[in-house]
Amino acid sequence: MDLFSFALLTPYEWSALRLSFQVAVCAALAGLPLAVAIGYFLARTDFPGKWLLEALIHLPLVLPPVVTGYLLLILFAPRGPIGAVLSGVFGVKIVFTWWAAVLASLVVSFPLMVRAIRLAFQGVDPRLEMAARSLGASRLGAFFSISLPLARRGLVAGWLLAFARSLGEFGATIMVSSNVQGQRTIPLEIYSLKSQTDGIEQCWRLVVLSILLACAALAVSELLERKQSRHESA
Amino acid sequence: MSRLSFQCEHRFSGGFALDVAFDVDHPVTALFGPSGSGKTSVLSVIGGFLRPQRAKVVLGERTVLDTAAGIDVPPERRQLGMVFQTHLLFPHLDVEANLRYGQRRRQRKDRPIEFDRVVDVLEIARLLKRYPGKLSGGECQRVALGRALLSGPEMLLMDEPLASLDASLKARILAYLQRVVAEWHIPTLFVSHSQAEVRRVADWVVVLQQGRVVTAAAPGEALSRPEPLGWKNAAGPVNLLRLEELAFRDDHATGRVGDQLLYLPPMERPSASPVFVQFSPADVTLGRQDVTGLSTRNHLRGRVCRLVEVDGAVFVAVDIGQILWAEVTPDAADELDLKPGSEIVCLLKAHSLHVVE
Repeated sequence: MDLFSFALLTPYEWSALRLSFQVAVCAALAGLPLAVAIGYFLARTDFPGKWLLEALIHLPLVLPPVVTGYLLLILFAPRGPIGAVLSGVFGVKIVFTWWAAVLASLVVSFPLMVRAIRLAFQGVDPRLEMAARSLGASRLGAFFSISLPLARRGLVAGWLLAFARSLGEFGATIMVSSNVQGQRTIPLEIYSLKSQTDGIEQCWRLVVLSILLACAALAVSELLERKQSRHESA
Repeated sequence: MSRLSFQCEHRFSGGFALDVAFDVDHPVTALFGPSGSGKTSVLSVIGGFLRPQRAKVVLGERTVLDTAAGIDVPPERRQLGMVFQTHLLFPHLDVEANLRYGQRRRQRKDRPIEFDRVVDVLEIARLLKRYPGKLSGGECQRVALGRALLSGPEMLLMDEPLASLDASLKARILAYLQRVVAEWHIPTLFVSHSQAEVRRVADWVVVLQQGRVVTAAAPGEALSRPEPLGWKNAAGPVNLLRLEELAFRDDHATGRVGDQLLYLPPMERPSASPVFVQFSPADVTLGRQDVTGLSTRNHLRGRVCRLVEVDGAVFVAVDIGQILWAEVTPDAADELDLKPGSEIVCLLKAHSLHVVE
């Protein structure tokens, strides 16, 4: 195989790349507001039974993704408790569309995002919010003008982590997403190629592509971190 | 009417009980006591960051907290300028943005505190574009003071703003604080555990010990009470004399107190006035008559004005033009037959004096 044929992706590979990207961006974006709210809440409050909430949020991290996918399938199937409402009231079908892949990635990557964001908020001195309020900022104003900007490094890290995890999501996705050629994400495409004759040969371009994407995500996060730490050290 | 009227009862989960009531009517009031006496808690209640079980806080004409009536104005609407122990500048904003933070959120636009004037008085013009991470401790506290001022507060609350600074810096920041008070007449309540600080800037002192008010009076009077005289920690007794005239001859310096001359340790010519000397009452030796042939440089004549006995020691207040405290043993006080009105000489080694600007 020459270099030229490597650089030229087949239409299916292109659609896998595009779909993977689309799913990962959507999943990481959709999870962000809730992850910020929960991360901040966990960083700033303490109450009996907090561990229960934490355990619930972290569950997808330790559950086999296939199990998470199974549960999502049950919940979001057209006759499932949530799926019925979605299709009945809004006429929206989730399962076996690419939205299902977004949903699966979101649930699986959410704990990673919350963890990074929570750590970032824990690193912001709560007394800075106190100072902001004494200067006339409301609770919400202090959050948006002080805590959020100071935690942005962790926000970006959490977002990128969730994005990278979503790119690689397989177990939960294969349970709920459509598995038709042209509608597969990169991991699904690799998996289905593997079982074809000569599939292993064809897989490796997608494998290299995955590695490149992961490296790019790491490089971007590193770059952003350096850019930010310039004047805030000390 | 008082500028601030404060009443509070609170029992912390650790067992510490706060039961404090006082009024503030003076330009600069100090909340003074050793660490753990409840000073910072009082400030937190006024600022709205600690909600006590029972309390009433009235600022001028506004009730900002009354647990009985269910009034609890949130911190951002209390219009208090707070300066904390650590400067708490916002690290992601430059100095100018820090200063403007409170200014933009000012609730009363009619307060004549102008940005340029604040920058001038606190001498922070050349810091405006810098980030807090690149400032020294003293610069940070000046910016923090400016930031609090620019929020247009009805009162300044300062929580040991000088605790983290070294002695000479402390003195310089105090001078800035005095300038601020003189310029804008904002009543100030500051927490301190240093008698020298209190003597220097306060017009009124509320002395706290273990969550209760020991006394509230002018500094000279309040610090003459047995409790503050008896404290053996950082809050213990310190003399602070104001030098009226400095003179430098060869390499030694002298200062005048009343009509007497005080020999000072070798020092740099100070850059600002006024200048004070600080020393411990334990460094003062008392004599009924002047003695010659001693290495001690300073022999200050005065008259005893009061004696306060505090567990195993007698504190003698001597009027030498200003009040000076000497600590002697009860036996020595008996032997010298010290009584109010006695003529006395205070011996003071030049090297036990610390000069502060």
